[in-house]
Amino acid sequence: MLGWLLLAAVLGYALIRIFSGYPRPPASTRVLAPREVAFLEAAALATFPPGGAIPASGSEADLPAYTDRWLQVLHPRMRWLMRSLFFLLEHATLFFPAPRPRGFRRFSSLAPQQQAAVLEGWRTSRLFPRRIVFESLRAILTMGYFSHPPVLRQLGLAPREIETPVCEADLLYPPVGCGPEAIAYGLSDLTPPSDGTPLQRDAPVHPAYAGSGS
Amino acid sequence: MKALSGHGGEVRVFAQYDRDFALETDVVVVGSGPGGAVVAKEVAEAGRRVVLIEEGPPFTPSDFELDSAVSMSRTMRESGLRTTFGTVMPTMQAICLGGGSLVNSAICVRPPDFVLDEWCERHQLQQTSRADLDPHFDAVAAFLGIAPTPEDVQGPRNLLFRTGCEALGIGSEPIPRNVRGCRGSGECFTGCRSRAKQSMDVSYVPAAVNKGAQVLTSARVEAVRSDGRRATGVEGRIVTPFTGRPGHRFRVDADAVVLAAGCMATPVLLHKSGNLANRSGQVGENLRFHPGVAITGFFDERVDPGFGATQGYQSLDFLPEGFKLETLWAPPGVLAVRMPGTGLDLKARLAQAPHAAIFDAIASCNRSTGRVRPRRRSLDPRLLWRLHPEDVPILSRALYVLAEIFFAAGAHTLIPGVQGIPPELRSLEEAQVLRKHAFKPSDFVTGGNHAFCTTRMHGDPAQGVVDELGRCHDMENLYISDTGVFPQCPSVNPMYTAMALAHRTAQVVAQLD
Repeated sequence: MLGWLLLAAVLGYALIRIFSGYPRPPASTRVLAPREVAFLEAAALATFPPGGAIPASGSEADLPAYTDRWLQVLHPRMRWLMRSLFFLLEHATLFFPAPRPRGFRRFSSLAPQQQAAVLEGWRTSRLFPRRIVFESLRAILTMGYFSHPPVLRQLGLAPREIETPVCEADLLYPPVGCGPEAIAYGLSDLTPPSDGTPLQRDAPVHPAYAGSGS
Repeated sequence: MKALSGHGGEVRVFAQYDRDFALETDVVVVGSGPGGAVVAKEVAEAGRRVVLIEEGPPFTPSDFELDSAVSMSRTMRESGLRTTFGTVMPTMQAICLGGGSLVNSAICVRPPDFVLDEWCERHQLQQTSRADLDPHFDAVAAFLGIAPTPEDVQGPRNLLFRTGCEALGIGSEPIPRNVRGCRGSGECFTGCRSRAKQSMDVSYVPAAVNKGAQVLTSARVEAVRSDGRRATGVEGRIVTPFTGRPGHRFRVDADAVVLAAGCMATPVLLHKSGNLANRSGQVGENLRFHPGVAITGFFDERVDPGFGATQGYQSLDFLPEGFKLETLWAPPGVLAVRMPGTGLDLKARLAQAPHAAIFDAIASCNRSTGRVRPRRRSLDPRLLWRLHPEDVPILSRALYVLAEIFFAAGAHTLIPGVQGIPPELRSLEEAQVLRKHAFKPSDFVTGGNHAFCTTRMHGDPAQGVVDELGRCHDMENLYISDTGVFPQCPSVNPMYTAMALAHRTAQVVAQLD
């Protein structure tokens, strides 16, 4: 009897350490749970801290929100894999601790220096699966960081405005999800094809990536 | 191309399906990528009734996503995150009208003579030499306007490759592409907003419709129907774009069936259709790739890598050694994943992006093989593939040559993205590690988007699934027209070869009584 009580206590403690105590995220998410938001917020700041050569931080780039939007369009099996990856990275330090002090904490509860050290450990591991886990996380965060308009504008990589010709295919296909009544063009709307004028560096930035300031 | 003029062809999209339905036609083509679209157009032009079926939706420019991750999620199977097991390697296959041609970099290169000669010799082929295929290559080139990438849209990123090659005496040339009026926006992988890339959805598919073809999009074929040695048609479900949620059922009865669903999907379909056309046991076997590796190089001068053709220059000098060299651009988020480090170090590297160029190599790894198997309750494939230890030196040699070209072009720092060696190389002397280090397959960051051989052609029905004209050995009227029919790696980008073979297969299909 005492053994079962002890086991229940240990399990209860483990569940509390793993699942409880996460703050409510500042903005609502459709896929990510609060613990995943907390993890991604911490990982985003560890990967892209404020300052440095590109001022925007991972937090300013709102990488948890980006990840949530991305997960919404992800294949279900891949969504499950990504969320499993977040769970693994968030809780691995409960068993394989971060550097002291108090390294046996969830990733999101660690100090920034400890978080950086943990990520570095995954990145430089001699075990290929650990490196793959890190590379997957960093790929998600990096793609999100590089979708942030101020980052792209600073690096001169923001998409530019391009005038899109109307070709015969545009008479056949409506936008995805719409019916043929949504086809906006007729024969009289056909325009000459692209004349191959090179896109110039001073071409206006696409409206979705333009903004005030840097 | 003259304006569409109501010859009876049509395109159906997801919003139009409101009930189960059945069609009857002469030829049903499954898959609208480079293989299927060419067959559909040629057969329709020959006067046959054609139904072209595509699982993905058509994309208009308003549907193109500039964000790379979201774009891949919408245009690629398994959201662009499909990988092989064994040696873990990402591999992407498209799910959209036009197939891979919508989101590739439009490279159209003919395989070298020695590759086709080897195909003929090793696989008992009688009419698949360069001379045999050139008329078909020529026909495709004339239709698409395949031409070398113009100088004025190369941009510094591509021209630095030429500079480095010239300094070393390495041959290089502008890449021939199926593009008309390229503006050098570098957006091939997320959709060409200039409408310059002649992907299948803006070229062969409208031409097929103009000749009366019916195109069913968001329609997933789930089985090939057959009666003994005759394929009688296909059946499947309408699927919601992006989610794949199945809906209404459909059936298309046909006198001939052409499978062009891709190197991964076609063998899965054959397996799911009662292991059709597989007396040889070769369906899903012999999976091969061109694993790709890349180096990012940094220059003192500003390169502005976002301007210029996505892949504008190449070198074919090393094909006999097993690799092809190219320039490369991709959405910044995709390229940045190769950068080492985290934190301020990573930001410092990423901040150098305006001074960066990327050169890549694709390796003809014929010794590295695998297989495609169906999953139990899905049409997604399970991929097993291993990079053979004897193919590893091809990758390391390719990386070393790329390093030579970079330094000859004036780069000061390279990021090879390979495990086990320094993350940055600052001189050709430091790059010697690429020649000397004993690499393992898992040391490389590769991608394998060129895939082949899973329904390979062979003169002996016991060793192949199709003959060299694309006819299944075991069936009277079943054809395959995608890169799965390649008997070995083509050594160059596969789209043009797939289209030439499809052009030839179409002549046979069109003559079927």
